[in-house]
Amino acid sequence: MSSIPPVPVTGIGCLCAAGANLNECMDSLFAGKRKPLPPTRFSSDHQVAYPVFEITSAFPADSSNQRSDILFTAELALVAAKEAIENAGWNREGLKNRQVGVCIGTTVGSAMNNEEFYRSYRSGGNPSMEAITRFLNSNPAKVIAAEFGLTGPCQTVVNACSSGTDAIGLGASWIRSGICDVVLAGGADELCRVTYNGFISLMICDTSPCRPFDASRKGLNLGEGSAVLVLESSDLCRSRKHPARASVLSSGSGCDAYHLTAPAPDGRGLKQAITAAMTACDKTVGNVAFVNAHGTGTPDNDRVESLVLNELLPQIPYLSTKGYTGHTLGAAGAIEAAFTVACLEAGEIPASAGFETPDPELLTTPVKHQTAVNGSIAITQSLAFGGNNAVVVFGKGDS
Amino acid sequence: MRLLFSEKVILDMRIAVRGIGIVGGFGCGIGDLKEALIAGQRTPQMTSLSINNQTIEMPVHLCNTFPVERFVNKRALRRVDHFSRLAVLGSFLALEDANRLQNDHENLAVIIATGYGASKTTFSFLDTAIDYGDACASPTHFSNSVHNAAAAHVSILLKARGPNLTVSQFEMSVPSAFLAARQWLEDKTVEAVLFGGVDEYCGVLGYCWQRFFEPDPTIQMKPLEWNSDSAIPGEGAAFFLLTRDEGDKPKYGFIRNIQIGHIRKNRPQVPEDTFLFLGADGHKFSGTHYALCVQQDTPSAVYTPHYGSFPASFAFDMAIAGLSIQERTIYATPEHAGDNSGLKIVSDQKDLVSEQISCLKFSCEGEFAMVTMSVT
Repeated sequence: MSSIPPVPVTGIGCLCAAGANLNECMDSLFAGKRKPLPPTRFSSDHQVAYPVFEITSAFPADSSNQRSDILFTAELALVAAKEAIENAGWNREGLKNRQVGVCIGTTVGSAMNNEEFYRSYRSGGNPSMEAITRFLNSNPAKVIAAEFGLTGPCQTVVNACSSGTDAIGLGASWIRSGICDVVLAGGADELCRVTYNGFISLMICDTSPCRPFDASRKGLNLGEGSAVLVLESSDLCRSRKHPARASVLSSGSGCDAYHLTAPAPDGRGLKQAITAAMTACDKTVGNVAFVNAHGTGTPDNDRVESLVLNELLPQIPYLSTKGYTGHTLGAAGAIEAAFTVACLEAGEIPASAGFETPDPELLTTPVKHQTAVNGSIAITQSLAFGGNNAVVVFGKGDS
Repeated sequence: MRLLFSEKVILDMRIAVRGIGIVGGFGCGIGDLKEALIAGQRTPQMTSLSINNQTIEMPVHLCNTFPVERFVNKRALRRVDHFSRLAVLGSFLALEDANRLQNDHENLAVIIATGYGASKTTFSFLDTAIDYGDACASPTHFSNSVHNAAAAHVSILLKARGPNLTVSQFEMSVPSAFLAARQWLEDKTVEAVLFGGVDEYCGVLGYCWQRFFEPDPTIQMKPLEWNSDSAIPGEGAAFFLLTRDEGDKPKYGFIRNIQIGHIRKNRPQVPEDTFLFLGADGHKFSGTHYALCVQQDTPSAVYTPHYGSFPASFAFDMAIAGLSIQERTIYATPEHAGDNSGLKIVSDQKDLVSEQISCLKFSCEGEFAMVTMSVT
């Protein structure tokens, strides 16, 4: 079959606990640095301080990014978008003259859950509307569009942990169908007490640094961050002679239709997503350099991913980067997409942090050390609450 | 196909509307919607809010999701909250209406648009942490508070294994999410899309409403009085079973065009010979945009007083457009909707003489979307 047209990725912005920009993040990953710590911006009364991957450094980029009228999630999205736009060689004026869409995944960024406001409300108080106004100002896609004066389609994807991956796939489809000349696609999410308590309540958080795919894995660590990819039409990319860092070759998604929070044991939705994506780009397993797995470190997730990778992509090197970033929820797919492109450019992948001992129950193991990779394409995949599975296939350069 | 018209997206298409499932303050199903449209403006329920130790009465268009038990047994529903029940009920009604409820849904995509998601359950989760400590926060409430929980429940109950998407873009949630429905049908990712808008009311939203708008509980919704805030909150779900054109005559016609833009750059391009359904819902910030952008000689109607104001309400106007196309009837604008708009508002039920109906929605910030549906 013929493949769908590739969509050039001309710029990337990324920040998370591993670094304040994509280069810093990649340096940390290849240096094997990771430092999950108890959260500093909020407290809880859990007996154990579950470690998180928090952005603790001074806020990246210049102080003009810091705004009190929007949620931190939206601030993160703005920082990543700014880096991506600069990396792509665009400026505000140039974008204003184009049809530019924004498609961003999030979870916290679309949740009206301010605890201080709610505590006051439920105690019969008369809380100020400041927190609500901030929430209403903070739809991540809308914030980016407003900041850069963009008037194309604007979409905030709230597909839980696959949101960022879904957003990139959808953004690429807007380019292919001619809706947009340029799309800023990615994800953003902040750490907050609500999700911290939520994931702990589900008993899927590790009290130690997470160990994706390891025999001793106990669960995930939460994280925060954002990544934005600049996707643009091939014609535009050629006309302005800007090199593509990579191309979105295809995407795929599938729903387990099985359970609200647990993946289908047979990985049916993930298989469907991978198969759809590989079919759409007309590539074979032999083309695949590596897979950036979802790899949360929860027993269920890693078991299912290992099963599916062994069946569909046997012998292909894979890793989880959540050992460096934590699980950044709606941002995870975008951050991992950014890492995937950077690794494809570098021709090597870092060690899968936290993996030491193979799990005899798993038929595959991730890379234990920094590994050179061959192949023209790479896959990043996300699994999410609701049984969502999303996959994006990237090709080298303009493919 | 895109026609770039000064930085506004205009997409032509031919998407068949096979079934509609709707639940709102007026009742449940397309039959109840039709009865409500014929009967005229409905009185919303009165709810009580406690603010500063004072009890405040507030009208709200609330939904009863009890009919969902006709489709799903109580055991399967025991952990499904109100927000998800709205979505499940709307979904099953749409499939039943299309006579496809018993079909295999393996290749069915589910797309939900919502402004606020499962807000009631989000606050219930906070309640458990506040009342019993962080370590006793409810995992059931947490997992159901996630925005895509409703789409997940729909997929699980229908065994729908196509792509699953939830979009939250406040008032623009429905048109924004619709882009994905169109895309997946056009590129043949799926055979059919179950597409819906859902929002629920909760006490916290009521409090916010009071603080932002200080509504008079006795006032009726007058969306055509552009300069006054008369919005009454509502909740509900409106779902559509959408397919590609299969060469037949779909029950509710076709979705032919969507426009998305911002008045900073442009205005909606209203087709000639269309009938316009205005999404004006009693908020003066968005009302002024209708006043600016709608031509006075375009025949128009507004139905928001039937279901209230909430972010995903655009789907309700699309449902009414589908019904109007099926019945070849334009229903009367509720008599208290206001009359100082200066527009050509239809005040009596009449035959639909035009081939098409356009649903237009502005957000308070000036974003707009217009979906045009047609008989053929």
